[in-house]
Amino acid sequence: MHTPMAPNGSADILAIANAPVLWLCVAGVFGVIVVQSLIFLRAVRRAAPSVQMTPGDIRTSFRSGAVSAIGPSLAVALVAIALLALFGAPAVLSRIGLIGSAAYDVSAAGIAAGTLGAKLGDESYTQSVFAVAFFAMSIGGAMWMIATLILTPLLRRGDAKVRAINPAAMAVVPAAALIGAFACLGFTELPKSGTHVVTFAVSAAVMALSLLLAKTLGKSWLREWGLGMSIVAALGAALLASGS
Amino acid sequence: MTATSTAPAATDQAMAEFDRTTSRWGRATMIAGLLVSLAGPLYLVFAGGLDIAPAQLWIAFAAVAATFGIIWIVEPLTYYPILGPAAMYQAFMIGNISNKLLPAALIAQTNIGAKPGTRRGQLASVVAICGAAAVHLASLAVFVGLLGSWLISVIPPAAMNVTRLYVLPAVLGAVLVQAIVSMKQPRTTVIALAVAAAVVFLVLPAVPGLAMVSTAIAVLGTVLLAWFFRSRQPASEARPAQPVHLE
Repeated sequence: MHTPMAPNGSADILAIANAPVLWLCVAGVFGVIVVQSLIFLRAVRRAAPSVQMTPGDIRTSFRSGAVSAIGPSLAVALVAIALLALFGAPAVLSRIGLIGSAAYDVSAAGIAAGTLGAKLGDESYTQSVFAVAFFAMSIGGAMWMIATLILTPLLRRGDAKVRAINPAAMAVVPAAALIGAFACLGFTELPKSGTHVVTFAVSAAVMALSLLLAKTLGKSWLREWGLGMSIVAALGAALLASGS
Repeated sequence: MTATSTAPAATDQAMAEFDRTTSRWGRATMIAGLLVSLAGPLYLVFAGGLDIAPAQLWIAFAAVAATFGIIWIVEPLTYYPILGPAAMYQAFMIGNISNKLLPAALIAQTNIGAKPGTRRGQLASVVAICGAAAVHLASLAVFVGLLGSWLISVIPPAAMNVTRLYVLPAVLGAVLVQAIVSMKQPRTTVIALAVAAAVVFLVLPAVPGLAMVSTAIAVLGTVLLAWFFRSRQPASEARPAQPVHLE
């Protein structure tokens, strides 16, 4: 449809992906989350005595939340590191620091690059393509926040229209949309090369094995680390298969 | 929000104050986060000297919206009953809800003996999410910001190149399996795989011009067929909706 853009065709993504302004935005994103947490903690401290919640209970809750987040946070960090070469540290930090996930962000970037006739990671992945992909994943992430901003007050009021959504539709439609999207995005990778097929297959197999073992052995850390382990194993397989 | 019948008026007043504060500041901080997160890409696009036409941005956004638009609306709807209003503003800003924030909230409630759905449980989950957010930000800053940037500088260029080229299939293989397993809907899965395969291996080779909208076609086709062929058991036997696990 579109020919890859001629001007600024440099494929040196990391040169612009590490722009100081982007680092500043990352700091802003982190700052907003910190400020929100402080405001919410203060609100809890004020309301706690009225529901028989002691300062000790608040400390225990904070510590429980922090400790239980260590495993998942490290697992997310591993996935984020794998994306650094593609998006650079500021984009990865602000996308995964704020609402986002590897699954969504990589998919959105791939779709956005596709609309420019480019593919992530190869010579068609220029600075301009990166900028459009970063824009698309960010505004897509913003849509979750906009939906939350609009829906939360409605749901609080117990809005009849929102509650009246057919439960059968709520069960089928999201599952269909997600599996359909990821199946299509995944299959699109297959015709690109044999190495793509190997990479995709190893990733899928490692995840299937992790989920199976997590279930049979009752080890939930396998579920948390599944994505990270799958990506590392698949990239290792890609390295071997591509012979570089 | 059902108060226990014996709750004194002071409890209601304190919790009403809590709801007011968290809604007002939850909204304000979320809007701030939204704007800051858009500032970076907007700067690159308009001030980065890259000569990008606005139309290219709209097309890219439309393609992403056609794929994920349904999820944007459905996800807040499915999480609201679990999280409650205050935690919604935290959860949808921090992300990784199903694999990190929900377990954190649940463990905190267990540890202080608060039942989910009660006011004490609600406060416990808000605090637990604050704790999880602190660990999340610290681990990202240290392991991705510092260690990751160092790693990028020492990794051989060949390995960097392989990562760049193949990270998309490396992510998608696992994500597809994860989506299939967590949704537990065999019928929908078969339909989705068949539709996606038909789009990628039959439609696209025949009409290459559709490459831009292929994912949107697959999503729409899967949703329509899955709805048409849904199992029509009585509601009591039907499986309850699984929360969507994208964030």
